Amino acid sequence: MADLSFEVQAVSKYFPGVKALDSVSITLEPGKTHALLGENGAGKSTLIKIITGVYAPDEGALHVGRAPVRFASPRDAIMAGVAVVHQERNLIPRFSIAENIMLEHLSDQVLRPLNFAAINEAARPWIEKLGINADPSTPVMELSVAQMQMVEIAKALSLQSSVLLLDEPTAALTPHETVALFNVLRDVRDKGVCVLFVSHKLEEVQEICDSVTVLRDGQNACENLSMNGLTRQDLVRMMIGRTELIAGYRPRDIDRRENALELLDFSSSAGHHGINLAVASGEILGLYGLVGSGRSELAKAIIGLLPTDGGDIRRDGQRVTIASPAEAIHKERIGYVSEDRKHEGLILQHSVLDNAGITVWRRAVNRFGFLTQNSVRRLVEPYLKKLQVKTPSLRQTIGKLSGGNQQKVAFAKWMAANCDVLIIDEPTVGIDIKSKTDLHDLIRDLASSGTAIILITSDMPEMIQLADRIAVMTDFVVSGELGNDGDYSSMSKQIIDLIHIEETRLVGE
Amino acid sequence: MVCIIATIIISLKSPAFFSALNGQVLLEAISINILIALSQMVIIGVGQMNLSVGAIGGFAAISFAGMMEVWGISAPVAAGLAIAIGVLAGSLNGIFIVWTGVSAFVVTLATLAIFKGLNLAITEAQPFYNIPAEVGAFGNTTFFGPLPWILIPALTIVVCVNFMFNRMPLGRKLLAVGANSHAAKLSGINVSHVIIVAHCISGFLAATAGIALVARLQLGQPTIGDDWLIMSFAAPVIGGAILAGGHVSTVATVFGVIIVALITQGLVLFKVDPYLVQVVLGALILAAVGFNRWKDIQTAKTKPGMHSG
Amino acid sequence: MFATSEKYREFGREGATDWLKRIALSNEFGLFALIVVAVLVFSSLASGFLSNFNLYLLGRIIAVNTMIGFSMMVVLVTGGLNLAVGAIGVCVAMTCGWLIEDIGLPWYIAIALAIVVGAGLGAINGLLVVWSGLHSFIITLATMSIFFGGMIFLTRAESFREMPGVFTDFSRLKFFGSVSAMLIPTCIVAVLLGILYRLTRTGKEMLAAGAQPAAAEQSGLRVKKLFVLCHVLSGAVAGCAGLMLLARNGAAIPAMAGNLGQDWLLIAFLGPVLGGAVLLGGYVSVLGAFLGATLVSVLSNGLLLIQVGEFWVQACLGLMLLLAVVLDKVRRLFVEN
Repeated sequence: MADLSFEVQAVSKYFPGVKALDSVSITLEPGKTHALLGENGAGKSTLIKIITGVYAPDEGALHVGRAPVRFASPRDAIMAGVAVVHQERNLIPRFSIAENIMLEHLSDQVLRPLNFAAINEAARPWIEKLGINADPSTPVMELSVAQMQMVEIAKALSLQSSVLLLDEPTAALTPHETVALFNVLRDVRDKGVCVLFVSHKLEEVQEICDSVTVLRDGQNACENLSMNGLTRQDLVRMMIGRTELIAGYRPRDIDRRENALELLDFSSSAGHHGINLAVASGEILGLYGLVGSGRSELAKAIIGLLPTDGGDIRRDGQRVTIASPAEAIHKERIGYVSEDRKHEGLILQHSVLDNAGITVWRRAVNRFGFLTQNSVRRLVEPYLKKLQVKTPSLRQTIGKLSGGNQQKVAFAKWMAANCDVLIIDEPTVGIDIKSKTDLHDLIRDLASSGTAIILITSDMPEMIQLADRIAVMTDFVVSGELGNDGDYSSMSKQIIDLIHIEETRLVGE
Repeated sequence: MVCIIATIIISLKSPAFFSALNGQVLLEAISINILIALSQMVIIGVGQMNLSVGAIGGFAAISFAGMMEVWGISAPVAAGLAIAIGVLAGSLNGIFIVWTGVSAFVVTLATLAIFKGLNLAITEAQPFYNIPAEVGAFGNTTFFGPLPWILIPALTIVVCVNFMFNRMPLGRKLLAVGANSHAAKLSGINVSHVIIVAHCISGFLAATAGIALVARLQLGQPTIGDDWLIMSFAAPVIGGAILAGGHVSTVATVFGVIIVALITQGLVLFKVDPYLVQVVLGALILAAVGFNRWKDIQTAKTKPGMHSG
Repeated sequence: MFATSEKYREFGREGATDWLKRIALSNEFGLFALIVVAVLVFSSLASGFLSNFNLYLLGRIIAVNTMIGFSMMVVLVTGGLNLAVGAIGVCVAMTCGWLIEDIGLPWYIAIALAIVVGAGLGAINGLLVVWSGLHSFIITLATMSIFFGGMIFLTRAESFREMPGVFTDFSRLKFFGSVSAMLIPTCIVAVLLGILYRLTRTGKEMLAAGAQPAAAEQSGLRVKKLFVLCHVLSGAVAGCAGLMLLARNGAAIPAMAGNLGQDWLLIAFLGPVLGGAVLLGGYVSVLGAFLGATLVSVLSNGLLLIQVGEFWVQACLGLMLLLAVVLDKVRRLFVEN
């Protein structure tokens, strides 16, 4: 483990219509743990992909030690000593712990049989060092999530990497396991490795990290700042910044006598329990929570994609059961705009018209039983125009449009569906500022016209601009509910406190 | 388990079952089917499929018989050349799959037609009859009671393949690619090479099966390989292989072959219509994949759910 | 907020030149050009190629091959496949023969019932695929064996040869001395499928569900039901193909599609894949599949006429599938640059 630093120097990356990274820099020093922070869409994941060799930067350079490096593939990055522990696991489930750690060294001799005893012995020190409490010959599939993560770290360290990048490593860990992970990370750090820690959980960042880089809108909000003397509020301010955009919230008159959608003591198989939420017609209920707190799963449980496990869903005061999204849309008029545009929101290889029209096909059938282009067009075109979707034609394959335009089509689809309740999940991640403000206007318009909206977002300014009330979700329960007074600093502080209170309670348990 | 029960039931009902001749027939069929099943199993291991197993086997078989009859080449040399043809055919599959990135299904469907067409074009659908006596003897004589000689190459190959998957770097790499090709690539495994080599091994095994069948039939029949497809999938699947790749078991596949052979023979002994054997084979595949799937769901239920998003 | 008339033009219909350009670049146009070239080549090499009798024979081959291709195409929509098309086709033909010969039903009722049987066998495939959540490859591999074995068991592998004259009359019927009447049912099915995918809700939903099941489900489509329906359709169309073969042979023969019906497999994939169907699901072209099957039929008929052995033709068809795959790869590389 050579004590090499790692530098990202003024890196930029362009995607069609968006500048994802704008001259971003970050310096990792050996023997230090560095935090990378940023909201969804701030450019964090693009930067991670550049560091790990998935993307090549359009401008700027990477340096290991003092030497510039170019990564043509993820493999190059690994060979240069940049090891990554991803959220999605890169292990072979049926292979043993030892074999997974030593997978890199399988290739050495083609004709010589493997000596598993030797492999186990070679892996044992890593297994012990990382506190993986299992025999080296145990198949990885029998381990807990935390243990698997440790195996991945061991695998990375066995390559003598000089940089260890951990992407949301604690998302699937219990507080207890997190403590164990941190001990290991401190150990690794003290051996002279540069550790880059990417997380949404600010408490963890404060606990483990020596310095921090924050990204905002594809730029450095700060670069290599020492954690000493930084408060959580400081970090949040840097992540969210943009106070100028936050003036937008105006209280609106909402008739709260009858709730359009109400959850009573709602539980789901995903792990939600005792959830009480209500949203009235014309109201925007914000649902704030960190990634992994169970927000999207709650939406999916409501529309019948995940099994419910007790409690009631009430629609206009009536108790209902929803077995499938088809029932949610056509019977109860509840729609869900997914955060995963590429897989759940749109059909990328189909045309704009087919994507926007999918929810209205039922209505567009003419009296001869046919579904003509024109009848679908008539139903969706007003929405596409209202949203100012920029496309050469309605036949255009939607995958070729920019992210902002894609998201507008996804919105048009749900507006055309005439739902009374819309659950909107991370509507503006990864899209340009203009489309973002357009979509914000649209969400307000929708609410004004009487749609009940549940807005899921981890973009705090977006939440405070739009939501009439904000419910905070932590670890699959609602930890509190706030009225929105539109004042950014007090609101964000209250929200963060609610998350924090719940987390300390969990750690205390 | 199932194997033993089936054997007991069948032997109780029909004492003729264990007579020497029957044992020989059964073991010969098992020997050849093991080669066919392993040929497919290697490809299942990397998470693909090979529809051309039968076509390669058939092509190698008629090459073997044809070279001996037409060119008068000695049996061992002809066998070596036929195996080389099998390996070459397999490598073509692998190279096309890797190069075009098209699913193995389509590529091997195309090569199935090509190899089968070449086979029929060369033979004009007529068998080669002049198989040297020693080849026929190898395929039809026994040692030590009912044990046929072709059991020896089959068992040797089982041991080798088993050793490869459990001990050799190549076998482990093959399984790693099948389980998670992205992870394998990140760990420095050359995924393309591994896939091509797997197809070469598959071609080798298919060719061996074809040659063994020529020896057993004493006939270079162009129809060899036509009915291998179902068998080649049935045994690995019954043996618990995961079609998505990454998990195969040589020993369990051998048991799969034995189960199929016992049931097939049993049905014949019970004078059940031989055509119903097809139905039973299909039902066995369905039962096996259904059971594996059910087991997966059960294990998924016992593990705590993982959250994301 | 509302778009001006300027904006409106953004969604306007494309101009005539764009339209021509799109057609000229399309896969279907390429196939059409290849067919024209093949016809020109064969008519110059073999004098009999454009004779009335050969055109009539060619029409019969095209009719059956296209129908077989359609039976696979409607499942390719789901991103799956149906190995059992041949087995189902033979089962339907045998059912029809049995209904007429042993039960004594009139031919039109027998045909209708036989196609229902085909749809039913397709439904079994579809339900098994949807229930088990397994890939349709392994399911239909198993049912191929089951359907075919069951059929052989029930029929004792014997043919039904006492078919009413209407079948052979139909297969011998020709218009203008050269156009086979067998093309009629194929064209009807082609038009119906074209309407299904372009003009009906069910067809559009099938395409959407096949392309991206998760997105389709969240948009309120019943994905599982749609997938079963695709398999039902496949069974029915495969049945039609089986009945056309029955008409051509004048008898229902268990071996008419080879062992387990495997002889249909290559033809079944060639048409749709040449026609540009995406194997991952969500896009098919009825016209493309028709032209693809036509190209295959012209090639095999022409090659036979110029004295290329029957078996070499099979190898050629395999090569063609490989070539199509390679060309597709080259085309994609070309488009990306």
